[in-house]
Amino acid sequence: MLNDLRYALRMLIKSPGFTAVAILTLALGIGACTAVLSLVNALLIRPLPYKAPQELVLLWQKFSAQGLDQIPVSAPEYLDYEKQTTSFEHIAAFDYADLNLTGGDMPERIQGAVVAPSLFPLLGVGPIQGRVFTNDEFGEGRDNVVILSARLWQRRFNSDPNLVGKEIALNGRNFTVIGIMPRNFQFPLPLFGVQGGTFAERVDIWKPIAFTKSELESRGARSYGVIGRLKKGISSAQAQAEIDTIHANWLKQFPDNYSPDVRFGGTLYPLHEQVVGGMRKALIILLAAVGVVLLIACANLTTMLLARAGAREREFAIRVALGATRTQVLRQILCESVLLAVIGGAAGSLLAVWGLDLLRAIGVQTVPRIAEANLDARVLLIMLAVSIGTGILFGIVPAFASGNPEVTEALKEGGRSSTAGAPRNRVRNALVIAEVAMALVLLVSAGLLMKSFARLQNVDPGFDPDNVLTMEVALPLAKYPRGKPVADLFAGATGRIKALPGVEAAAFTSILPLSGTNSDSSFAIEGRNPMVEKVYPDEEIRAITPEYFRVLKTPLLRGRSFTDADTADSPKVAIINEAMARKWFPNIDPIGKRITFSDIRKPDVEWITIVGVVGTIRHRGLEEDGKPEYYLPHAQNSYRAMILAVRSRQDPRSLTAAIRAEIRRMDPDLPAAHVRTLEQVTSDSIAPRRLSVVLIGVFAAVALVLAAVGIYGVMSFLVVQRTHEIGVRMALGAQRSDVLRLVMGHALRLVLIGAAIGLAVALVSSRALQAMLYRVGAFDVPTLAGVTLVLAAVALLASYIPALRATRADPMAALGHNT
Amino acid sequence: MIKLKHLERFYPLAKEKFFYVLRDINLDVAEGEFVSVMGPSGAGKSTLLHILGMHDHGWSGEYFLDETAVHRLKPKERAALRNEQIGFVFQQYHLLDDLTVYENLDIPLSYRHYSKSERSALVADTLDRFQIVGKKDLYPRQLSGGQQQLVGVARAIIAEPKLLLADEPTGNLHSSQGEEIMDLFKKLNAEGMTIVQVTHSEKNAAYGNRIIQLRDGWVV
Repeated sequence: MLNDLRYALRMLIKSPGFTAVAILTLALGIGACTAVLSLVNALLIRPLPYKAPQELVLLWQKFSAQGLDQIPVSAPEYLDYEKQTTSFEHIAAFDYADLNLTGGDMPERIQGAVVAPSLFPLLGVGPIQGRVFTNDEFGEGRDNVVILSARLWQRRFNSDPNLVGKEIALNGRNFTVIGIMPRNFQFPLPLFGVQGGTFAERVDIWKPIAFTKSELESRGARSYGVIGRLKKGISSAQAQAEIDTIHANWLKQFPDNYSPDVRFGGTLYPLHEQVVGGMRKALIILLAAVGVVLLIACANLTTMLLARAGAREREFAIRVALGATRTQVLRQILCESVLLAVIGGAAGSLLAVWGLDLLRAIGVQTVPRIAEANLDARVLLIMLAVSIGTGILFGIVPAFASGNPEVTEALKEGGRSSTAGAPRNRVRNALVIAEVAMALVLLVSAGLLMKSFARLQNVDPGFDPDNVLTMEVALPLAKYPRGKPVADLFAGATGRIKALPGVEAAAFTSILPLSGTNSDSSFAIEGRNPMVEKVYPDEEIRAITPEYFRVLKTPLLRGRSFTDADTADSPKVAIINEAMARKWFPNIDPIGKRITFSDIRKPDVEWITIVGVVGTIRHRGLEEDGKPEYYLPHAQNSYRAMILAVRSRQDPRSLTAAIRAEIRRMDPDLPAAHVRTLEQVTSDSIAPRRLSVVLIGVFAAVALVLAAVGIYGVMSFLVVQRTHEIGVRMALGAQRSDVLRLVMGHALRLVLIGAAIGLAVALVSSRALQAMLYRVGAFDVPTLAGVTLVLAAVALLASYIPALRATRADPMAALGHNT
Repeated sequence: MIKLKHLERFYPLAKEKFFYVLRDINLDVAEGEFVSVMGPSGAGKSTLLHILGMHDHGWSGEYFLDETAVHRLKPKERAALRNEQIGFVFQQYHLLDDLTVYENLDIPLSYRHYSKSERSALVADTLDRFQIVGKKDLYPRQLSGGQQQLVGVARAIIAEPKLLLADEPTGNLHSSQGEEIMDLFKKLNAEGMTIVQVTHSEKNAAYGNRIIQLRDGWVV
């Protein structure tokens, strides 16, 4: 075996051109596989970074009659779960919290989370310094402790070894730092596609939950996620049954909150599924795509090795004549192909490292856990196995083709070249057909995704994202209790910002379109009794300042927009969008109609009058039609966390520093965070699709190049094989065009057969893509026709070069060429 | 040593038509003989040699090598017998271009059951015997035709076969090199090796002690 390896290496060094092309081909195929395998490993296979993660579940509630699924729980509901469940070893509530960290040169908005003290024992991860929360640190007035991430500790506090025990100022209050979590610790993890869930920034500060009095009194104010660790021996189904029983009891205990008609319930979801479940299909499609690229690379290598095997027939005949068995010849040839594949795999791993960096850069906003994707030992081992398997796969056909040489013919003086030439040509032709077919499948997928993406980019989102800057401002509760102080601050900030040079309009909103966050609230419509109609309106709600629709350039269709006269003391008003008007006020003018959040069975109902109708914004995504939304004046609904939107006449990013300065003039401890243009927000909303398009597009391009190289190689070999025949034809009067037609005609036949097979397969495989397509059918004829033409053109170009070479052959030299 | 009875080799041409390369060959070669097979081009000489060397299996008739009925053996069994008993020298030398002289000599041993130390010893002995120790690290393209054929002969006998088959061994050499090779054959025969050579040259045939004439596939 060692001799075989030594000889194999020598043979590769002897043919640098062949070896370079082979290694590059393999590097592309194996490298792409390795990069995607790393993704699969990080996202699907590697367990979540907690103790026994398979025992962790998330509990979400649902109101099936209103189509609401995976919604958070309220404070009283969580406390009931804590008291009443027996299936869980631990259960913990959590929520995101915006925290303004002050002290130092600049205030900074940090992404934080409020968590029940049971969270850290539940997750089974301990701090690297200090301790975690105790049960005593749960509740208002007892929650003045925080735990920091290692990342924040290093960045903001220069890894101060004495930080634990010191106080820091958050949201105008002092908190004692009691612990530092390890660098790779993360909680909550971004949850893919959960309603209202956000692909939030990484949490750097954890603080104990302190339920407020109003939270504790309202079963309907739902904002907390709940995570549980199942007890040993308790299955998910058993825990689910217990939850269902608890909910059934609530229906009896709290009929006002859980009418049977709303079909209230709750579901346990495995945490891992919630984090990455939505990625599974996309990753499988990606794996299939790189698998096709690798197969095409193997087909190329097989045709190259077959050509080489023909030239080495004499060598193998000598070896057999000297006593080699067929197995020994096969082993030697496979040694060469496996060695080539392992070297190609090593080169591929370098490509994979670069590819992963690129994937992480593209996918960091959209793919959960992508930062964890790397070439760990498992991936490297799989890559080695893939390399060896690839080597065997592309080496096996040439090995069998050469393993049983016609010894007598090969060794005789003037012996004919092997009559095995015809079967080998058939194998080569079959491989080219297969390559063309596989390349076409990938090209069809890429073409459909690109067309879909282009259509999506041209969708009217319901607003004009150009020249709008956004940033988040969150007011601390301690300094800004709800109500007038909050409204005044935002109104004052709006006035100051509007006065800045270059600003056309400025406004605040509680929810930015396409930002991934959401908020909804149920309401009643005057004159309609939900108990009777069994319909419970619940739509998406926003609080905005007066110029909001002017900033977004969303058209006002009827009535009026909010003004400065819509204050806390004036009559309550609302604006609805067109979708809400169509749904809840069909065929009537909604202006003047009234809605309420109050219980209409009680006497002191507070009515809100609809004063305007605006165009519908596509909030959840460009691919989804806009949903019903209603807007309330911020002065009458003073949310403390708002997003500023500023329309400018110039590049809006140039206003960032000036706007920050104005906000700090109002309150030096107020940071403005997450600065993005609305164009970026819109672009980020389609980033997952962009990632798929980019990846499949790259793989399709690589497949096309490899297929072209394969065709070029086979046609070149064909020309060499048929040199004598071409010489005879030219001596008998064939013109250049006849020779071109001979060679390219052969290539065209192979390409047409391959394209026919590829189209048939693509028609089946593109159904798997349907969910990823927007307003493009899986059988989109223009796309299918277009990519087929592109492939045919590239293939013909690849065959043109060897065909041209054939026309330049000297007929006399060709006739003197011995077959 | 060799006994052929009614040996025939033919190729099918068209429906029920055959081309006979060898017809009804009956031949005995005793141990220690040096036999030359002569005849015009196309007589079937090389085909006969490749059948004797068990490279060609498409023949009919009986072939006994040292009392072993080769015609009853399966191809794998024939290959094992060939490895044990026969060495082959080719007209075009057929050295492996990417192996050194040392490695070319080692190749037949690597296909037989010799240990590494045994192989090293045999190669060293053979290099010494043929006085080509200084050339052991050279590649075939760095040798003259005569030197290449010398290596070819050395390779053919390194595993100590009882029978040496040579197909026009001097066909690609000039006369002085050819004489060296034939002298070597004479010496090997004197040491007890049975040699069957195919040759066009009467001078080369004279080195042997019997000539067999082939014409149109028949022994005449």
